[in-house]
Amino acid sequence: MSRRYDSRTTIFSPEGRLYQVEYAMEAIGNAGSAIGLLSKDGVVLVGEKKVTSKLLQTSTSTEKMYKIDDHVACAVAGIMSDANILINTARVQAQRYTFAYQEPMPVEQLVQSLCDTKQGYTQFGGLRPFGVSFLFAGWDKNYGFQLYMSDPSGNYSGWKAAAIGANNQAAQSMLKQDYKDDITREEAVQLALKVLSKTMDSTSLTSEKLELAEVFLTPSGSVKYQVCSPESLSKLLLKFGVTQPATEAS
Amino acid sequence: MSIFEYNGSALVAMVGKNCFAIASDRRLGVQLQTIATDFQRISKIHDRLFLGLSGLATDAQTLYQRLVFRHKLYQLREERDMKPETFANLVSAILYEKRFGPYFCQPVIAGLGDEDKPFICTMDSIGAKELAKDFVVAGTASESLYGACESMFKQDMEPEDLFETVSQALLSSVDRDCLSGWGGHVYVVTPTEVKERILKGRMD
Repeated sequence: MSRRYDSRTTIFSPEGRLYQVEYAMEAIGNAGSAIGLLSKDGVVLVGEKKVTSKLLQTSTSTEKMYKIDDHVACAVAGIMSDANILINTARVQAQRYTFAYQEPMPVEQLVQSLCDTKQGYTQFGGLRPFGVSFLFAGWDKNYGFQLYMSDPSGNYSGWKAAAIGANNQAAQSMLKQDYKDDITREEAVQLALKVLSKTMDSTSLTSEKLELAEVFLTPSGSVKYQVCSPESLSKLLLKFGVTQPATEAS
Repeated sequence: MSIFEYNGSALVAMVGKNCFAIASDRRLGVQLQTIATDFQRISKIHDRLFLGLSGLATDAQTLYQRLVFRHKLYQLREERDMKPETFANLVSAILYEKRFGPYFCQPVIAGLGDEDKPFICTMDSIGAKELAKDFVVAGTASESLYGACESMFKQDMEPEDLFETVSQALLSSVDRDCLSGWGGHVYVVTPTEVKERILKGRMD
């Protein structure tokens, strides 16, 4: 555990680790959690809002979920300002692809392109890595609905269910137990809310502390990204019986 | 031979009562030869904003793709659609960027702004805006279109009336221009709906 090698991001430690990247992941471990679930007919993203204060100006913009293009959205965990830069980069990359090829960018290619950007900050420039993890949810005509998780090292992989942010290991193990391959979108929403309610630190669960977004196909065949309104979210919480003080993580 | 006359085009946009109409011809030619008779010259930017591009077809296509790029990013960042006035300024800026190697296009922009007020404008190939309260024209048939619109235009026309006026002005003007015609494509946009209609004119 040689601390002498920490100050340079682009240097390996003697144990073969990149400390700055690991410290970045530490920063994310303290941020609000987000969970993503892949279902037969859509992808569900749920996020925990850490910043809740009565003094906050209410706005319609979301804190955890962002649209990257018409067919891709992402949930964020970590340093928000770093996230904003990367989201903007992802948006421009998606549009550049569409400009060149006149079709939507395949989801994995978008994730890969963004991860290549993140990797650059671990190998050259002497700049620190981005302290953000993403959950990308999207649809393309080659592979249908997909869910990807990426972290500050620039590593990514496709998941059926994934969690990032605080208590992500507890959430991940809960998902491993309860996830079934053929769940519907509604069941996925229910599972995501249940898991999040159990792993969140806060004592009570209301729609103000959560954000829910879904990526699905409309009857006409186009991809839609929809953020759940606070009213519908409250109704869902009541329906699934999770508007209660959170019990200890199972 | 002027580069603006290579493909042939005719575009007109007119203001009505809380609505607007934008119309184009359908011919795509390579000088004297007609290549297509269903060419789309008018594109939708969003539900309340339409863009018509006359002039060289390849530049029109590329310019449109660049504008979609910019508008999509604007929509993602601002979480709303662009206002027509703002869009016109964007088109003007993009055209002027290429001041010494321009896009050979003349755009016609038509949209509904705040409080459903119709907005139309055109500009030259290097971005000089021309705002009008009644109608704007562009393309190889523009001189005939100016005359036809000037005589047929009335203030505050209802959507159905506006459609008739725009269609008559377009068809009579393209008949006098060998490079444009082969029918017409008219969009009449009100705050509640967009009506798209194809006109059958002299197919030559």
